[in-house]
Amino acid sequence: MGTPGHMTTPDLAVNIGALTLKNPVMLASGAFGYGDEFMGLAEYGELGALVLKTVTPNPRPGSPSASRTAETPAGMVNSIGLENVGLEAFIEEKLPVALSYGTAVIASIAGDTPEEFAACARRLDGCAVAAIEINISCPNVKKGGMAFGVNAKASGEVVRSVRAATGKPIIAKLTPNVTDIGSIARACEKAGADGLSLTNTISAMVINVETRRPVLAANAGGLSGPAIRPAAVLRVFQVARAVDIPVIGMGGIWNSDDALEFIIAGASGVAIGTALYADPAVGNRVLVGIREYLTRHGLATVRELVGSVVLH
Amino acid sequence: MSCSEGSEQAPARPRRAPPGRAVYRIQAPILESARLPGGHHRLVVRAPAVAGAARPGQFLHVWCHDPATIGDPPAAAVLRRPYSISRVWSQEAVEILLRVRGVGGRILAGRRVGESLDVIGPLGHGFHIPEGLRLAVIVAGGSGLAPVPFLIETLVARGARVILLAGAADDEQIPFAVDRPSDPDRPALSPSVPRPEGRDGGRQGDLATSLRMNSVEGTLGVRKGGQPGHATLLALEALGAEVTFVSEAVEGLLVSDLLAARLEELSGDGEGRSGDPPPSRAVMAIGPRAMLKRLHELTRPPAGLPLQVSLEERMACGLGACRSCVVPVVGEQAQEGAGPRSAAVVYRTVCRDGPVFHSPEIAWELLDT
Repeated sequence: MGTPGHMTTPDLAVNIGALTLKNPVMLASGAFGYGDEFMGLAEYGELGALVLKTVTPNPRPGSPSASRTAETPAGMVNSIGLENVGLEAFIEEKLPVALSYGTAVIASIAGDTPEEFAACARRLDGCAVAAIEINISCPNVKKGGMAFGVNAKASGEVVRSVRAATGKPIIAKLTPNVTDIGSIARACEKAGADGLSLTNTISAMVINVETRRPVLAANAGGLSGPAIRPAAVLRVFQVARAVDIPVIGMGGIWNSDDALEFIIAGASGVAIGTALYADPAVGNRVLVGIREYLTRHGLATVRELVGSVVLH
Repeated sequence: MSCSEGSEQAPARPRRAPPGRAVYRIQAPILESARLPGGHHRLVVRAPAVAGAARPGQFLHVWCHDPATIGDPPAAAVLRRPYSISRVWSQEAVEILLRVRGVGGRILAGRRVGESLDVIGPLGHGFHIPEGLRLAVIVAGGSGLAPVPFLIETLVARGARVILLAGAADDEQIPFAVDRPSDPDRPALSPSVPRPEGRDGGRQGDLATSLRMNSVEGTLGVRKGGQPGHATLLALEALGAEVTFVSEAVEGLLVSDLLAARLEELSGDGEGRSGDPPPSRAVMAIGPRAMLKRLHELTRPPAGLPLQVSLEERMACGLGACRSCVVPVVGEQAQEGAGPRSAAVVYRTVCRDGPVFHSPEIAWELLDT
């Protein structure tokens, strides 16, 4: 810490397009809710960014109420169904509380059509959000409900419509449930995304063997938690090599070593979700660990670690 | 507030938890970890802030593993477990009772005195105890008995007469012993609410004292082999409740039958009708959803007994963020008589808006039982 003979404190700042974050540690959309729910349980203002729960133009009730979550080995499966308060209530009631943490707040948006995505982005353009994350994993209503994010053309359309609606940095959040994630990443980059975040949850099912019924009321859901981390690291590695824009890595991060894996694989930022439910201060813990790692390895900036994986 | 004006400035908001929501995360030393009959377990932890803020019906969100290993991704039990607060001791310790079932319970049952438990709490909204409450009828089914000791103590301290109608499919489901933690050398722990004269919180002497209260109606004598349950009921009586117990296996009755049988007597002169402020009677229920739903049918007008129900649902965050544990409540449109289902479905979280709800709030026809 400035002592002669020692490294100065490493520079943790990272850039996502025009957006500069004071450090790479973010909390993931969905897991962190609107942020107000966690008030008082950790110093969330220390983190690089807080990504809030996805909002849609109008409120949505989400999936059926019975059993939206199931715990699984080293993870959990959920189907919340994008339950949210709607864009206006989000802006009026939720956003001010999240902004009060004193760090970058990123809104996550979704819609049934590219036009709905654009409407959200246009409305948020005048708000104090640092960036907009585009949740392209949600169903494309005009195309039979298949997720926008599983198709490169549909992904590009959504990103393009959002790009036209806002000057804020935009980040497309990719689903891992595709054959070639690199082609979808490139389509989003070409359509004007400033960054990409991945992965969203891996589609999954849990069955109660006594009743033979799926545990989740929606039958299937998305798997998150440490169980998916190695799969997510690979996809971040693949995407980072496929595009020239920054990548935010996530999927099962529990500690700083996990976060560093993503960074070394190619992520400029990392986001934490499921682990928040065990440890509301996990982000702060990961941040401390990253700083210690950089110091121990004599690295002046976290940026020089990004994509530094040494392949066999 | 619209975003276009003053959008560069975050509004000045206090960073503390909102008023009325005191939530703490504590590495709480384990004072007692005791195996109980019937595969149950009792944990008492020192957590003064939680103990001081806790209200009956609230819960703790408990990390099952050793807090020192929080940085290691666990292979099992990655989520916390919600347990209702069973008792508060001396404003400094909190007791939970759990049925050892599944991996989380097994891990917790292996935790020992001297270790710490990572708890977040008190969480959720507990039972509403209106000013002037004269009669509280607690209806508890199965493991719904867990939060009952704390509830009885608080109600008695508030001057209410407490009738407990308890039931279980069989005796083994309710072996919760609610006497004081057993080690006499431990720093004195006593109930944190003032006790009526002559009772000091469930010591052996209290159990003896309660024997003379054995005239309460009930079925203690006919239950099979129910020593642990018997002790439980005596201890609950010692806290000041008039206890009636029913075992479905033995008597073929449900706990809701007990309320049905006494409905007229308990409804009294109807002074508990909704809209009568302040209601002097209340029914507070904890147990299986089928039981709660039947109680809802029984207590609605013309009976007009205000009913509060404590709901359970699978949780992840315990804080209201993840929206896992939602239940359907009556939406504004539904209250105005809009068609069934339609857009009137409004979800509330069990973890934050509940776990205790006023029964008329719940959209029972949409609730999965």
